[in-house]
Amino acid sequence: MLIRFLQNNREASVAAIILILFVLLGLVDTSYLSFDTVVSIYNNSLILVVIAIGSTLVMATRGLDVSIGSIMGLSAAIAGILMNGGYGIGLSVAVALFVGLLCGLFNGFMVAVLRVPAIVATLGTLGLFRGLVHLSTGGSWIEGLPEGFKGLSHAVFLGLSPFAWIVLILLIGTHCWLRYTAFGRSLFAVGDNREGARLLGIRVRSVQLTAYAINGILAAFAGIIFAAQIGFIPNTAGNAMEMRAIASSVLGGVSLLGGTGTVVGAGLGAYFMTSIDSVLVMLRLDAFWNDMIAGAILLLVLVADGKIREAMGASLRYHKYRKFLEPESSSSSAKTPEIKELSEVRK
Amino acid sequence: MNGLRFLKRWETVLAVLLVGEILVFGAINPAFLRPSTLLFSTSDFVHVGIVALALTLVIITGGIDLSIGSVMGLAAITLGLLWVNGVNIWIACIGALGVGCLTGILNSVAIHIAKVNPLVITLGSSFLFSGAALVLSGLGGASGYEGISGFDASFVEMANLEVLGLPFPLVIFFVATVVFMLLLHRTRFGRYIYLIGQNQRAAKYAGVPQFRTLTIAYALTGIMAALSGLVLASYFGSARSDFGSAALMPAITAVVLGGSSIYGGSGTILGTALAVLLVGYFQTGLQIIGVSSHVSNALSGGLLVLVVALRSLTEMGRAQYLQWRVLKSVGQAAR
Repeated sequence: MLIRFLQNNREASVAAIILILFVLLGLVDTSYLSFDTVVSIYNNSLILVVIAIGSTLVMATRGLDVSIGSIMGLSAAIAGILMNGGYGIGLSVAVALFVGLLCGLFNGFMVAVLRVPAIVATLGTLGLFRGLVHLSTGGSWIEGLPEGFKGLSHAVFLGLSPFAWIVLILLIGTHCWLRYTAFGRSLFAVGDNREGARLLGIRVRSVQLTAYAINGILAAFAGIIFAAQIGFIPNTAGNAMEMRAIASSVLGGVSLLGGTGTVVGAGLGAYFMTSIDSVLVMLRLDAFWNDMIAGAILLLVLVADGKIREAMGASLRYHKYRKFLEPESSSSSAKTPEIKELSEVRK
Repeated sequence: MNGLRFLKRWETVLAVLLVGEILVFGAINPAFLRPSTLLFSTSDFVHVGIVALALTLVIITGGIDLSIGSVMGLAAITLGLLWVNGVNIWIACIGALGVGCLTGILNSVAIHIAKVNPLVITLGSSFLFSGAALVLSGLGGASGYEGISGFDASFVEMANLEVLGLPFPLVIFFVATVVFMLLLHRTRFGRYIYLIGQNQRAAKYAGVPQFRTLTIAYALTGIMAALSGLVLASYFGSARSDFGSAALMPAITAVVLGGSSIYGGSGTILGTALAVLLVGYFQTGLQIIGVSSHVSNALSGGLLVLVVALRSLTEMGRAQYLQWRVLKSVGQAAR
């Protein structure tokens, strides 16, 4: 029963792991268990949550985008250059998001129209976009961003910054969009069975293109949050974030083979990945344990999930073919009462 | 006609591109054509090639190994830790290779048990191994991202050693290329690798020892990643836990550019080896003619995008042409 619940609600298992982590924290020092801790971890996890949403969209269509880190860096750099060039914050952010859209469209074009395998295409653009970052910044860091922009990452209401509110709305909005609209569902249809989706009348290419485009915009948004949070933009902004994003989504139950997963799960996965960092600091463990523990938990979840899925498949098959199996084991006991009944009827 | 068939092969295209690129860079800056430049500039990228060769096997089986970068760091740190604790440097090397082998086996076992996409499993294990490398280097006293240095002089000289006039890492790469070519194209193990990549179910019904074959492939990748980490440690004279993180994407790029299908079932060692040289010389060449390394990174990303897109387009065109030919012959038969 529990197994079936976990299988149907993959995000529940991540939520459970997060709870365990907090219980562990509570055992060490109860003073850490507060609303503030939860909120501060959430504030730290914003970037990862945003790109995890994006990669969930792409992974739902059975794609993969490993160029998100570079898109993050590129759009952050462009926003920074524009802002320091005297343009308004709104305009700069809009241009940065537009750049993200272009990057995403380029990825989508490669995958959907040219039919290049997703990982290969985005591997190429990973290097390409990162190179554009260096080209646009001339190899130097961008510093001295306007105070008004940095202020967007400071808490305003209930301990959450404007960005944190936007991300929260984004999370819920994307979830509803994926769950309750035809287009959102078609993303999963394409990922589950491309040919079947085409026969259903779904425009497979434009669905894929849209997924990559939105992913690009979200990556750009993550880059902007990054810039606002740390206040300057290094050339390496967003480096290796793609792997963390994919790991978060997978942890949250999104399948790389497309067709399943929820944005909320991915968000929880991202929250978990961030909470490990914070919790380890609070548990006074050395920071270098982070990756190892995250990796070990990720592997454990994956292996356990694989085992659960196998067991579910086996039980499903058993129920399907039970009537063919029955006679072997219980032929003597099961059939005799039936005959008796028949004979009683005849009497 | 049959004699010309090799012209159609992807490896030939790569070889032509390689020669063409060397000639173009040489025309712009004749210093590039000096044999010593050509030979010793390989030390900057040959470690990518060493691991890419073994990765080719894994990709041909339809899998992928994202943990190679982490294993490179882990092996280097293992070496450093053993050396700091007074173990002979060559025994420490063997220990590091052993750790690499273990990581590969761990990957394969996890994939076998979980029965999920190797991409996910090795993504998880890449966090695990790079984390383990950080922990080891932290426990070893070199806190965090600091490196372990001060190796035995004979080990550091290895990277600059000349064998028959060739730099030693390049010799390792050539030897490994030959060994892997024989392994993949001349043994039963190699045929199994292709069969598993082509059709896993058919391989199962044909009685291919899948788990064993895959384990050997992943273990070889682990060992080669460790070897590559050792080459880097020797080249830099120090061991750091985040050594290999920059080598993962170039290695996959080399395998893909070398003509292996990311879905498995096709690819050659020669293609990978040529692609390693192609990308490597592309970057060195750009730097020699005065393009900054950042731009050359972008351009090599662009190169991958261009080549792969062109290949995809020609494949699509060929499929269209074949379809058209079939339809045409059907039409003629009907008439």
